[in-house]
Amino acid sequence: MSVAQFLTWLEHSPLGAFTRSLGVWSYGVINLVHILGIILLFGSILILDLRMLGAWRQIPLALLSRPTTRLAQIGLVVALCSGIPMITVKSTDYIGNPFLLIKFPAIALALLNVLLVHRTEAWRAHRVRDLMPSERNRLKIGAALSLTFWLTAITAGRMIGYW
Amino acid sequence: MTLMLRAAFVAALIATPAYAHHGWGGQEEAVTSLTGTVVQGVSMAGPHATMKIKVGGDVWDLTLAPPARAARSGLKEGLIPVGATVTVRGNRNLDHAKHEMKTIYIKQGGSEYHVYPDRE
Repeated sequence: MSVAQFLTWLEHSPLGAFTRSLGVWSYGVINLVHILGIILLFGSILILDLRMLGAWRQIPLALLSRPTTRLAQIGLVVALCSGIPMITVKSTDYIGNPFLLIKFPAIALALLNVLLVHRTEAWRAHRVRDLMPSERNRLKIGAALSLTFWLTAITAGRMIGYW
Repeated sequence: MTLMLRAAFVAALIATPAYAHHGWGGQEEAVTSLTGTVVQGVSMAGPHATMKIKVGGDVWDLTLAPPARAARSGLKEGLIPVGATVTVRGNRNLDHAKHEMKTIYIKQGGSEYHVYPDRE
């Protein structure tokens, strides 16, 4: 199935028909929820990543990591639950839109990076002991990749409407 | 990773002459008037209301106001039936290969819809 075929299928899906039937304010409201989700997701990630990159060293990483990770998870769910119906409204408008092909791979890479960081010894150990320099460096790489992938996804996502 | 960032930045720069559903930048100054038959009635879904009309052999994508504003002009889905003859005025896309127009005004029979009265 090509991207064009998938987008056509998506537009004609029951979710697309349902979302289109929700009235004249629905797109604006769904868009608002999507933005709130992104704010929650990226705002939390930004704090955590900057801390891992060396900002605010007086705040223990273990204190920050739990609430920021949880808020980012909630933000991701909110962004997904609003983004999916939003794209079904007129999916075929996005055929040939190059930003779509930047945004979704960037999200996939960002999530893969989360998975890889959470599997490191450095991530597991940061809650129970001080990290060694090599471990701190591993987290720095993860944080830099995280900011790069999420900023790419957000930039491409915003530009979709301007193509 | 810096490559991705650079790619995103370059992409953002290329996209600066913003149009699609954001503003009038990609449209002509001149107002074009078209008369044709409706092939797809008004849709109130998405960032802007839309409809399609056939003029001669060409199908035109008409971009209307955001749905809530289009509704304030009196438009509703299903109000203008497929096959009806309509006259529309608006600013067509700078790229004449695209039959796309930001629509200011629609007239069907005795009904008039002032979608963007401030632009008339």
